[in-house]
Amino acid sequence: MNASPGAAPLIEAKGLTRTYRMGASNVVGVSGIDLVVASGELATLKGASGSGKSTLLALLAGLDQPTSGSLTVAGNDLQKATEAELTRYRRDVTGIVFQSFNLLPTLTVLENVCLPALLAGKPYEETRSKASGVVEWLGLRERRDHLPSQLSGGEMQRTAIARALINDPRLLLADEPTGNLDSRNGAIVIELLAELNRASGRTVVIATHGDMADAYATMQITLKDGAIHKILRK
Amino acid sequence: MRQFTLFLRLFNWFTVRMLKRHRWRVLTVLLGISLGAAVFTSVRLSIGASLDAFTRSMDLIAGKADWTVTHHGGRVPEEFVAPLLRAPGVAAASPILTAYVHPAEDRGSESGMEAPPFLLVGIDPILDRAVRSWGVEGGGPGRISGGTDLITDPGAILIGKPLAELLRLKTNDRLPLERLRSAQKFRVAGELTTEGLGLAEGGKIAVADIATLQEFTGLIGVVDRIDILLKPTATKQDVERIRSLLPPGVVLERPSEARESGKMMIRSYRLNLSVLSFVSLFVGMFLVYSLIALNARARRRELAILRSIGATPRMIFLLFLTEGGLFGVFGWLAALPISTFMVRRLLSGISGAISHLFVRVSIDRLNLDPWEIALSLAATTGISALAAYQPAREAMRASPREAIDAEGGDGAERTSPRRLAALGALLIASVWPISRAPSPPELPLPGYIATFLLFSGFSLLSPWCLQFVGTRVPPLLRRIQGEPAYLAGRYVRDAGTRTAISVGALITAMALFTALATMVHSFRKTVDNWANESISGDLFIRHQMSETNQYRDPLPEEVVRKLIEIRGRGGVDILPYRRIPLRFGGHPYHYEALDMDVFRRRSRFLFVRGDAARALEKLARGEGVLASEVFASKTGLGVGDRYRAVVEGVAIDLPIVGIARDYRTQGGVVWHSLRALEALTGKREWTGARMFLSGSTEQERSAATENLRSELIRDCAERYPVAVTTGKDLRGEIMRIFDETFAVTTVLLLIALLVAALGITTTLTLLVIERKRQLNTLAAIGAGRNQLRSMILWESLLMVGVGEAVGLACGFALSYILIFVINRQSFGWTFIYSTDWSSVLMSLPLILLTALVAAIPAIRLVLGYSPAMALKE
Repeated sequence: MNASPGAAPLIEAKGLTRTYRMGASNVVGVSGIDLVVASGELATLKGASGSGKSTLLALLAGLDQPTSGSLTVAGNDLQKATEAELTRYRRDVTGIVFQSFNLLPTLTVLENVCLPALLAGKPYEETRSKASGVVEWLGLRERRDHLPSQLSGGEMQRTAIARALINDPRLLLADEPTGNLDSRNGAIVIELLAELNRASGRTVVIATHGDMADAYATMQITLKDGAIHKILRK
Repeated sequence: MRQFTLFLRLFNWFTVRMLKRHRWRVLTVLLGISLGAAVFTSVRLSIGASLDAFTRSMDLIAGKADWTVTHHGGRVPEEFVAPLLRAPGVAAASPILTAYVHPAEDRGSESGMEAPPFLLVGIDPILDRAVRSWGVEGGGPGRISGGTDLITDPGAILIGKPLAELLRLKTNDRLPLERLRSAQKFRVAGELTTEGLGLAEGGKIAVADIATLQEFTGLIGVVDRIDILLKPTATKQDVERIRSLLPPGVVLERPSEARESGKMMIRSYRLNLSVLSFVSLFVGMFLVYSLIALNARARRRELAILRSIGATPRMIFLLFLTEGGLFGVFGWLAALPISTFMVRRLLSGISGAISHLFVRVSIDRLNLDPWEIALSLAATTGISALAAYQPAREAMRASPREAIDAEGGDGAERTSPRRLAALGALLIASVWPISRAPSPPELPLPGYIATFLLFSGFSLLSPWCLQFVGTRVPPLLRRIQGEPAYLAGRYVRDAGTRTAISVGALITAMALFTALATMVHSFRKTVDNWANESISGDLFIRHQMSETNQYRDPLPEEVVRKLIEIRGRGGVDILPYRRIPLRFGGHPYHYEALDMDVFRRRSRFLFVRGDAARALEKLARGEGVLASEVFASKTGLGVGDRYRAVVEGVAIDLPIVGIARDYRTQGGVVWHSLRALEALTGKREWTGARMFLSGSTEQERSAATENLRSELIRDCAERYPVAVTTGKDLRGEIMRIFDETFAVTTVLLLIALLVAALGITTTLTLLVIERKRQLNTLAAIGAGRNQLRSMILWESLLMVGVGEAVGLACGFALSYILIFVINRQSFGWTFIYSTDWSSVLMSLPLILLTALVAAIPAIRLVLGYSPAMALKE
């Protein structure tokens, strides 16, 4: 168990395992992970391809459920959660930024940003006003009525960050957020995530190959073959 | 409310915008659905108009009568009116006599068409007021003025407004009318108001005093029926007392009985055409299914994203289900103008077919029945939503985990083709026993259920068939056509249920085409055979309008004498007959007494059951009757059962000695010996006669026929209202009516095929779009444009080949059900099975060619795209 001294833990995993059935054999995504991440940390998940970064992130995001072990995030037991509870968890607790942006192609920037709040049952006008603020803060004011296909990579990723922020999640997850960006835009995105961690004390977990986030990370978790190889704290 | 608003917003953002981006694809699906909906709606409205016109006319003529005194196949003596009026419990009794009459001089309508015959109704203007409502334009509050003219002026008639407009008549104009041996000038005493009797027959009706009509028609002292209105206090005993007043053969029945038997026949026809028109909607369902299923797969990653940011599976399910429903609603809206166009064309064809086949109908208006409109909307929307159900369920299963995977994959669950095929085989195996289940009268439910199971069963076989072909054929294709053909075969093998959807649509359309072509061909060939064998004869003589006036009028005695005079002259054989419309239970049919000696010499029954030689012996001796297949099916009577009826007041109780084919459509026939009937009744009355001439060559016989025809026209037709027709013309007319009746069927079939063709084109294009990345990977690793083109063409050929082969097998099975189950359950007849090989063989290369043409948009799509761009995406 590795916990940051003094802060309440937001993520607690014990013996966390996720295996997949592939034909006749079982493939291990992650296995026997014990992890505690306190509120307000900026953690990076590192490791080679296939080390289990994305699997762990998917479990933290409530996109997938563990095969065994336990996982509690912000008091939500994700191992035992029902489908409906997971949906609510994704709406209320986490925001996620994907490597390939994953914006809905038929929705404008503003609509993409509004969508999670609307799905969470928030009123449209209020959501729209809030989304406009976030979009403006991220420098996308001129692009708010554009479709994703009309945006650059950096703009798309900033839209994805805005979408992840709209429900004020306690946990912000990013899966290779700079993977599809050039170095300049990559740096902007990492700075943004760091700023979100620093300014509001929001917990941020970034899965990444690169070292751009190292300077901001309070905790570096390295995975190897689905297990924690080492944890470095600053 | 907020949830609903959110759903609408999401539907707009996620679904509507996507549909807007693919306008052509959406328009194609909408066209398919709207064609199906338009066919369904217009067929239902057209038949509904006929049914409505028939019912209204019968009700308006029947008026408020509680009971009616009638004589099936004959007329009621007028003398019964007085005792009926005196009978306890009777409030009013009104005799009525009707006849279809022709304007004697050319009073053609403005369109230049010859004015059709119309119904002249003879009533007692005083007695009738209590039973029927009618009035005269310009009449006082009692509206009897003008009506009194009927009594005081023996040549006065009142005419319906539409008839007055058609014949361009006004009050006090003279109208010469012809019927039978009479021609008389009538004075138009006024126009009927547009109520009650004035609306019967679509207003193409005239009313005269009953005595005037009796004098005009020569039917002195008889009436069609006497309508009775009972006092509110009347008891069952009163009704029995009325019944006891009547002589044998004259019956007391509810006025609704004749109407109900006519309605039942029209309803049965409506059900058949509705089911046939529903097939276009059914094929359209594949079109919606294919578009929504492929959309759901192509947007799988977006669905995962939606799920990852908080959308519930239920919301995603509803998005897709609503998309299907919306296709239905917009397809239905788009069908409205198409239906307006179609209904105009179908109305005359369908009412003509009903008039030929069942009962005479005269349509004056097209009612937009709210029930029919609602049914059409519900059927179209329902079937579209049903088509979207499975893709919607597949879409809701998209896992949010797929959003984080680099290659989204389709993640859809695949059902094993073998399992589907096993289910399909089970459904096909259940078809025959289900089709044999007992069916309600005129409602071939088991037949329709069997048809649905057959379509479903063969469609479920298609994934396995594709897999089988895709496994066995590719090695052979590689040797013949190289790698592209091999890859095409492999794709067909691996695509599973994706290609099976469009192949299922093709199977349905192909099966329908084969089955209907076979059915119509078998029917036509059997009817042709029947017309030549059983309706044989060189010349036919009968009353003009004998069918219209229900064979009530025998041939004039002078004409009968003339026929007896020419019998035996130069080898001329005369086959006289007496036809009487009767009812068995509530079921209408014709009793026909024939000179069996001549019939056996010159004609032939097409026996379905019974020993032909022994049956004919018994028939000739008057020791039994022969029933038509329709009569046997409708009444449940068979060989050996007793046939009991009262004909001309004489009770007949004889065994049924055989069942024979007959395709007259007034509910079947029972044949008896004319000599036996004449011996029982002591009367010689012929409804008509057939004549057989001799000649050593065909030309000699034709010349003799022509000579005799001229003689009969000179001596009979110019003096009496009889029609002399050659056998060739009569049989030609039968086949013309047949072809006209099936013209509607052909139109429906062509539309179903058109919808299927749209389905194949759309599906093939979507399948290619879905594999854009895969095809461009092939291009990137060196596949040439010709190779890609060849690959798509081979895929198309393999899919269509499987669809045609399975569809053909399904079609033959379906044709068997249509001929031996549905036709028997609906109309009571079957036909001799005969495959229309020329149509089937011609259709195969044509459909194959259609498939190749359908592949063109798909090929253009792939080749018009840069591989680099596609791979970058």
